[in-house]
Amino acid sequence: MPELVLNRVSKFFGETVAVDDLSLSIGDGEFVCLLGPSGCGKTTTLRMIAGFERVDTGTIKLDGEDITDQPPQKRDIGLVFQHYALFPHMTVAQNVGYGLKVRGHSRGKIDEEVEAALSLVRLGELAGRYPSQLSGGQQQRVALARALAIRPRLLLLDEPLSNLDAKLRDDMREEIRRIQKQVGITAIFVTHDQAEAFGLADRIAVMTHGRLRQMADPVSIYEQPASALVSGFIGQVNVLKGKIVALDGGRARAGIDSGLEITGIAANLGPGDLVTSMIKQERVVLSRHRPAGSENVFSCKIAARTYLGASINYQCQIERQTINAIVPNHPAFERFEAGESAFAKWSSADCRMFHA
Amino acid sequence: MKRIVAGAGWAYLGAIYVFIVGPLLFVCAASVNGAAAFPAAFEGLSFRWYRAILNHPEFIAATWTSAMIAAVSSAIATAAAFLAGYAMLRGRKKEDPVLSTILASPILVPQIVLSLAILQFAALFGMGTGLLGLLAVHTVHGLPFALRLVMTGLARFNFSLEDASLSLGAGQLTTWRQVTLPLLRPSLIAGFTFCFILSFVNLPISLFLTDAQTTTLPVVMFAYIESRIDPMLAAVATIVVVAAAAATLTLERYLKIRLVE
Repeated sequence: MPELVLNRVSKFFGETVAVDDLSLSIGDGEFVCLLGPSGCGKTTTLRMIAGFERVDTGTIKLDGEDITDQPPQKRDIGLVFQHYALFPHMTVAQNVGYGLKVRGHSRGKIDEEVEAALSLVRLGELAGRYPSQLSGGQQQRVALARALAIRPRLLLLDEPLSNLDAKLRDDMREEIRRIQKQVGITAIFVTHDQAEAFGLADRIAVMTHGRLRQMADPVSIYEQPASALVSGFIGQVNVLKGKIVALDGGRARAGIDSGLEITGIAANLGPGDLVTSMIKQERVVLSRHRPAGSENVFSCKIAARTYLGASINYQCQIERQTINAIVPNHPAFERFEAGESAFAKWSSADCRMFHA
Repeated sequence: MKRIVAGAGWAYLGAIYVFIVGPLLFVCAASVNGAAAFPAAFEGLSFRWYRAILNHPEFIAATWTSAMIAAVSSAIATAAAFLAGYAMLRGRKKEDPVLSTILASPILVPQIVLSLAILQFAALFGMGTGLLGLLAVHTVHGLPFALRLVMTGLARFNFSLEDASLSLGAGQLTTWRQVTLPLLRPSLIAGFTFCFILSFVNLPISLFLTDAQTTTLPVVMFAYIESRIDPMLAAVATIVVVAAAAATLTLERYLKIRLVE
């Protein structure tokens, strides 16, 4: 039984549509990431679920109950904020116990629950500290404990890692996932960071311009993007514009504006259609010797290279077309200097064509 | 060269202190001077002018009236300032320049005109001189100052703390009581105290609104000077200055609240 259901939800700020006819269902215990660039409506969606923004049209149901017009304090939804939002005049224990206190629980019960919540986030020993005495990572753990202490029906996290430095962010990501699984709570995590979304989510909901573009498990989102918008947002892609010249089942040949002819996967396209072709940069293979096969094999010149540590980014010139290739920095892969000649190749399965 | 610049700096600083604190010291000295005139050469330490106050019940009565008016009007002004500032800044909105200029406009009107205006305005509602008019004018006069101080606090207040409180199940009133007001306490106390002092020492805004039963300390002092000048006024002034300074120092030292930022 689906736990949270948004049905045709829209939100307007004056003339602009912040969230446009959004429908989605999230199952019990599921971890869903709302992923999209800033301004795509993901935070507004979260704030509507939490009850801080009025829903202009559509309904929100939680466990079958219509909560569209319920005030936030009645929803039993735990919230973790980007900037932690811990109460600075209360200790860690008082912060975590706040939700229980305003619900009128007894002292003994509050102490017990606070202890349980703090041990869940492994911060039991800091109960007496004030938020200003904690590091960013510790503050975020307290915020998580505070949200979970009320035993909410749903946990919402609004870019909770974006204020932490890179190493801490990875640890905290694992920690959030561990805690979510341990508690078994349904969670929605808003982020603009793909790595975060892929690392955490059971399913990812990709949003741009206020609309839900695709909702699927991470592998499907990455390997079978539903549109050029999703494909362009996920990962690093080469974008080639052109026109379909031939079709054979799901495979298509397209003449690219720069003069190349490439093969790729296309759905619902006909000859003569204008297309946008997307090739993931890490799927472009570079070699000195001409590789086997004839599809999508081009001789090229290395125009520039950028050393990125774990990988090397090559800018290849195929006639008038520039293609970027990301190659692992590993002895098993050939290395090139700028100015060298090479062959670039990619599988037609790694080239997806969409209506332009 | 460096030494000259440093010397000039110290001299400048010294001059500021002399001109701010100097007149106060002069008043203090006059209050403990045994001489019968004011100003006069120092004739010897005496507290006769402090004792003289006790023979003027109108001063004592006016002090209580002033304190009451200051307390009530500052409380109203601070509460109104909180509500106005909260409404303007809630939801991470920018401060509304038109609204805050309107709320600050009493500063721009000469105070004596403000007093006259409130008198006429009160007459419209069938109220003459007296307590209500005085409370009104002191509240209006204090509001811009309270607003500035409360807005300073609100501008630094993180409104997502209120969201956090609501999401944890607290209602709006509980959220104010547990989160918003405790965190704004320094600005609210500063706003109240600042209004209180401004109200307590202000003469012109009260001028047209006092009557025989209800009159404020500065008005009584003013009336007293018109008939004679003796050091008793210096004694009254010294008590006011010492009380105000003590209040300010207490706030800054023990409550860590700065009146002027």
